[in-house]
Amino acid sequence: MSWFNRFSNLFRRGRVDVELDEELQFHLDARTRDNLNAGMNAEAAKHDARKRFGNATLAKERAHEMNIVVSIETIGRDLRYALRSLRKSPGFTMVALLTLALGVGANTAVFSLINGLLLRPLPVPRAEQLVLLRSIEGADDPEDYFFCTPFFRGLENRHEVFSDVYAYNGDTLLVKGDSGNENVPGMLVSGQFFQAMETAPLLGRYLTPQDDQPGGSPTGLAVVISEDFWNNRFNRAPDVVGRTMVIANTPFTVVGVMPKRFIGPDPTQRPEIYAPLSADPIIDAPRNHIDDGIHAWWIIVGARIKPGISMEQVNAELRTVSSPILHEAGAADARFIAEKEKNHFHFGAEPGSKGYTYARFLFRKPLVAMFAMCGGILLLACLNLASLLMARGVARNHELATRLALGATRRRVIQQLFTESMTIAVLGTVAGLAAAPMVTRTLTALTENGRTEMRLDTSLDLHVFLFAALIALVSSVLIGLVPALQATAGNLNDHIKEGQQARPAFERRKLLPRALMATEVAVALTLVIGAGLLATSLLRLFRSGAGFDPKGLVNIAFKMDKQQLQGDALMRLYRQLGDGLSHQPGVKGVSFEFIVPLSGLGWNGRYSTPAGGTRLMFMNAVGPDYFSTMRIPLYLGREFSWNDSSASGLKIILNQTAANQFFPGQIAVGQSITNPREKLTYQVVGVVADTKYRRLQTPAPAAAYVPIQQDEQPKPSLTAVIRTDGQEAPLAAAARVLAARLAPSIPAPIMSTEDDVMNRSVSTERMMALLSLFFAGCALLVTAIGLYGTLAYATARRTTEIGIRMALGARRTGVVAMVFRENVLIAAVGTGAGLIAAILASRALASFLYETSPKDPSVIVCSVAVLAFVASAASVLPALRAARINPMRALRNE
Amino acid sequence: MRTHTNDRLKGTLDLLVLKTLASQGRMHGYAITLRIEEISESVLHLEEGSLYPALHRMTQAGWLRSEWGVSESNRRARYYTITAAGRKQLGEETREWSQLTAAVARVLSLA
Repeated sequence: MSWFNRFSNLFRRGRVDVELDEELQFHLDARTRDNLNAGMNAEAAKHDARKRFGNATLAKERAHEMNIVVSIETIGRDLRYALRSLRKSPGFTMVALLTLALGVGANTAVFSLINGLLLRPLPVPRAEQLVLLRSIEGADDPEDYFFCTPFFRGLENRHEVFSDVYAYNGDTLLVKGDSGNENVPGMLVSGQFFQAMETAPLLGRYLTPQDDQPGGSPTGLAVVISEDFWNNRFNRAPDVVGRTMVIANTPFTVVGVMPKRFIGPDPTQRPEIYAPLSADPIIDAPRNHIDDGIHAWWIIVGARIKPGISMEQVNAELRTVSSPILHEAGAADARFIAEKEKNHFHFGAEPGSKGYTYARFLFRKPLVAMFAMCGGILLLACLNLASLLMARGVARNHELATRLALGATRRRVIQQLFTESMTIAVLGTVAGLAAAPMVTRTLTALTENGRTEMRLDTSLDLHVFLFAALIALVSSVLIGLVPALQATAGNLNDHIKEGQQARPAFERRKLLPRALMATEVAVALTLVIGAGLLATSLLRLFRSGAGFDPKGLVNIAFKMDKQQLQGDALMRLYRQLGDGLSHQPGVKGVSFEFIVPLSGLGWNGRYSTPAGGTRLMFMNAVGPDYFSTMRIPLYLGREFSWNDSSASGLKIILNQTAANQFFPGQIAVGQSITNPREKLTYQVVGVVADTKYRRLQTPAPAAAYVPIQQDEQPKPSLTAVIRTDGQEAPLAAAARVLAARLAPSIPAPIMSTEDDVMNRSVSTERMMALLSLFFAGCALLVTAIGLYGTLAYATARRTTEIGIRMALGARRTGVVAMVFRENVLIAAVGTGAGLIAAILASRALASFLYETSPKDPSVIVCSVAVLAFVASAASVLPALRAARINPMRALRNE
Repeated sequence: MRTHTNDRLKGTLDLLVLKTLASQGRMHGYAITLRIEEISESVLHLEEGSLYPALHRMTQAGWLRSEWGVSESNRRARYYTITAAGRKQLGEETREWSQLTAAVARVLSLA
């Protein structure tokens, strides 16, 4: 009876009972009838029947146990047998469990990242009703979700299809604490935001449309805080509602606390303070996104649709309101309206249950690529285990054949073998699941890589659990079924007679294990080539350099927008800060910059060329001695100095590319450049070498530098760049002390090294390269174990044959070659298949590669060489062992 | 003459049942009881109830197959047949039994 039947007996004891009763009653009745026929009276006939039957209850109970307990005992016995035979070969078991745990762990970990980033809905009630709104025009940019305030305000009160429309902007808030001002991650939200989220506050109330007014509601400016913030800042004070917090030098009243499970609208952010959108001029001062109107695209807009409304209805409604809102918002700017209309501007909606996060665009492709690599590893682990089990099965032929001969059914033996592989699969999966959270943490650390603001919920949920269960199931079937079927197939007598005897070199039964091993080699080669491509690309990326020397370069960012000084007075403060820093031990040079190179931020402007027309240049505002501090070569002219003040006439320094574009064949220094929009003319005072600007992956663009003193912003927040050959950490402390003394109202300056900035700019490439190298290493190891294991088993079976060969005069080198050849064929076929697979698969990698072709011959040649080396190393050991066989002893074994 | 109860026959019950089914084909439990009594000329006297746990155990082991049928008296009864695995088991047990009895016989005649 199958396991299923046995288990099902447990649950239908009722029916089994009735049948058993009927069977026993039949016996008693039959005996009674025979007794009657023999002449007994009715009473005596019944009595005799019962007496002969004995204890009927006991018989029934026993028979019942046979149907249930015996089956459980069988499973228990199989399990014990499986564990015993696994214990007997600890090496095999360790390898099996480790490879499987690796495959399962890696897959589950990557899947829980994918789940957290791409699949998990926002933890709010009826998240499926949420939609994200977009303003679509021209060639649609699928990553652009930003709105300007007038568009949002135009949509906010359209309730035909929406129950609530909301907007938000993830922001950093300057909060006054016990030890001065601090930066706290927060969010500006519009009036209907909390209504749409349908999450009740833990304490107090949430923000409402009345709060989202300039100056707040009649009772003043209000904020809602997170439970974490309530814990950390207010120590869970029950009277927190009604207390005042000073944000951006302005008092706000805490009106509510949101529970921990509420994470806000962006799955990668954890805002601690929610402030009204209308408070932007206070919180983001001196910037004012609201007054900037149609020129500030800064908020994400979402909505909750009314129940029963379809996406088609939503989009139809949005199209009808697009034009009126555009005309209202752009009333003062006819060119704006004309441009939008030319581009067929309209609003659109898309499902928003998972919220919006930019990280999705950054990590979707790398995660999917990683997932594919993990799948490869799991496949490899399963193939490997199947091959090893099959090899072991061949070695156990005699045992199995004996058991079959002793009356075990084929099903019974398969069940037993399957129990063994199931045990491996379950143990491996459990180990993998146990390791998964650790792997996830490592992966998250790798992906975040300094992005402290990015937080992702990767905890296990139903998706991940189902996924892991599926993996366990698939892997146990993959691992167990084929070997079990194969081990029990074929003619019984042959198996028994074979024993340890010499056997023909070629058998069809050997084809399947060989195919499995060849597939394994192919998968491994694909992974190795992928890793090789990614690593080569990363290496080339780093070697290409940034144009400046990032080693020993420290950035210290000062946030000056909320303090009192501005213009020349602020420049004097910066100069004092720079002087203070330059006296720290180990400091070789100090300067200032507005944009940190490779940080992903940028600023550009359009300038007229002498030849007519305009050209776009990336801009930066930098301090005196900037280029010597950065070690950017100065080709012509001079650096800026503190004398290039706001009164001394506008100066500009061009990089080589810009100089060539604006003044081809001429000396740029001494010429002038005009910004036609601002009608400002700059005098070129220097030409410097090209440097990369926003990211390491993009070639150096045309760029220009202006002195920080001549920047048009009244209160620029600049970053000090410090060239040091000493320790970096003391600089952060020194900067904090300096800032506290010279500018007590600014938040503590933030230190980072330019190396970190650079690593962060290539974090995706770095993560992919590191992981793929790790996976490729694992793949090689697993394949080596597989090649070694299967060949070792096969060779052990040929001991007698080899003994005879040697007794007949075969040389040891000949024996080595003969055994070695077995794997050469497998490796060659696998390599061929792997090359084809790799070339097909590597196309998917093309978008991650920097100056590296997916068919880079050197990478492919090296990968094949590495694989060939590993395969040879794995095969040479069994071959050498075969050559050491003592012919006499081998023959005596018969 | 004393009759032997199945206490003394532990382990041989399987053999008897298998042998009976192997020679007689499809039978229900009561018929198996009668057959064993008849052949052994009532020397082997079963406690009839104990037959059933053995039948169910052997069915689980795959030696027997059971199905419901209609008896000679037109009642529903569970019928048993021996399987290929059961025949193998029978061969095994027969051999063991012969060895044992032969050994015992030798001991009795020589000791």
